[in-house]
Amino acid sequence: MSYRELVKRIPHAMYERLSEKLMDVLLEAKGGGDVPSSLAKTILYYWQRDQLASEAGLVNLLQAVEIADPEGATAVLDEFGLEEVKLALRPAER
Amino acid sequence: MMMRSFGIEFVPMELYWRTTYYSIQAERLGYDNIWITDHFNNRNVYVSLAVIANYTDRIKLGPGVTNPYLVHPVMTAQSVASLNEVAPGRVVCGIGAGDRTTLDMVGVEMKAPLRTVREAVEVIRRQLAREKGGYEGRVFRTAAGARFNFKVQNPIPIYVGAQGPKMLRLAGAIGDGALINASHPDDIREAVRHIRRGVERAGRRVEDVDIAAYTSFSVAESEKKARKPVIPVVAYIVAGSPPSILEKHGVSTEVADQIRSDLANRRWGEAFGAVDSDMIDAFAVCGTPEQCTEKIDALFKTGITQFVTGSPLGPNVRGAIDLFGREVLPHFKES
Repeated sequence: MSYRELVKRIPHAMYERLSEKLMDVLLEAKGGGDVPSSLAKTILYYWQRDQLASEAGLVNLLQAVEIADPEGATAVLDEFGLEEVKLALRPAER
Repeated sequence: MMMRSFGIEFVPMELYWRTTYYSIQAERLGYDNIWITDHFNNRNVYVSLAVIANYTDRIKLGPGVTNPYLVHPVMTAQSVASLNEVAPGRVVCGIGAGDRTTLDMVGVEMKAPLRTVREAVEVIRRQLAREKGGYEGRVFRTAAGARFNFKVQNPIPIYVGAQGPKMLRLAGAIGDGALINASHPDDIREAVRHIRRGVERAGRRVEDVDIAAYTSFSVAESEKKARKPVIPVVAYIVAGSPPSILEKHGVSTEVADQIRSDLANRRWGEAFGAVDSDMIDAFAVCGTPEQCTEKIDALFKTGITQFVTGSPLGPNVRGAIDLFGREVLPHFKES
């Protein structure tokens, strides 16, 4: 399942707080250097336009956090009760 | 009304996109200047600035500070002139004698710092103005015709980073701005006096010099949380401070020498463990938003015109910028 399809399963009301949490994790993640430069620049593009809480912003954030800190991504999805999204992200954990 | 602006310093130890993220955040919250430090062991200052310039629109930005020992002033001039094409009219250039600890690590001696900085500023200005004639200094020389192949459209203010009395007076005499490397009100008050003396001796007007307190800064919801992250920064400040400054704050040269040696040999535990509470109070501005507001207010009363929140900013950089932007900055911007 693509990240876009995953984000479509997240209620809109959660977008703002979720993007904040994911960004917190990304900024502190030890694996930040593994995030491809093109993806990092896309995130900056959305941040510059204050659109990280949009569907497209979240798609890129979720992807980056999954690369930089997979456990952090899981913890955030758990915190928001997004079990379905978590399992879709990690089918092996079903 | 006296100008009051706010700068923020970033040390490009972080990945470029993190520094850029924080820079966008700082611009949005109302900061006026971004200063990026220049140390060989971190990411390149001009690469960092170029990326930040791409993602910001209003905020001024520049090296804070580069030094003429590791980077020849013609290259500094070239770098800021090139950056100006990416961020027209937004570029500033901070230059100082550099950090002794870092220069020692690469075997570079800080010879004749006053003359070196003065000549470097002259060379940078001549290069930016595309002067045809050569420059014959005692430290730097350029041949006639050694100039850019391109024009620089905007003025690029040069800020001189200073800590000791002579360098402060030099900053007042030749700088478009002065970056005072201090955090304690007594030190800054004295520094402003020296800068003004330099301004007067040079026959300039004090209003023409942007006097910035370039502080080690940390803000957090609690004082305890704010103090902890400043310890490593204070260790470096103590290691790099002249004996007169150390003596004034009751820090023995032996302790400072030991910290410098520990830092040079990467004995972080020993170096940071030697930093005590008095050193933090002497060399950092830190606390809750209310405490920081009070301290910054006191610093503006010394005559500074720009307050720079230097690293570490807080226990969490994003949180600290947000806290500062929401709870400290409005107190000054709205007054």
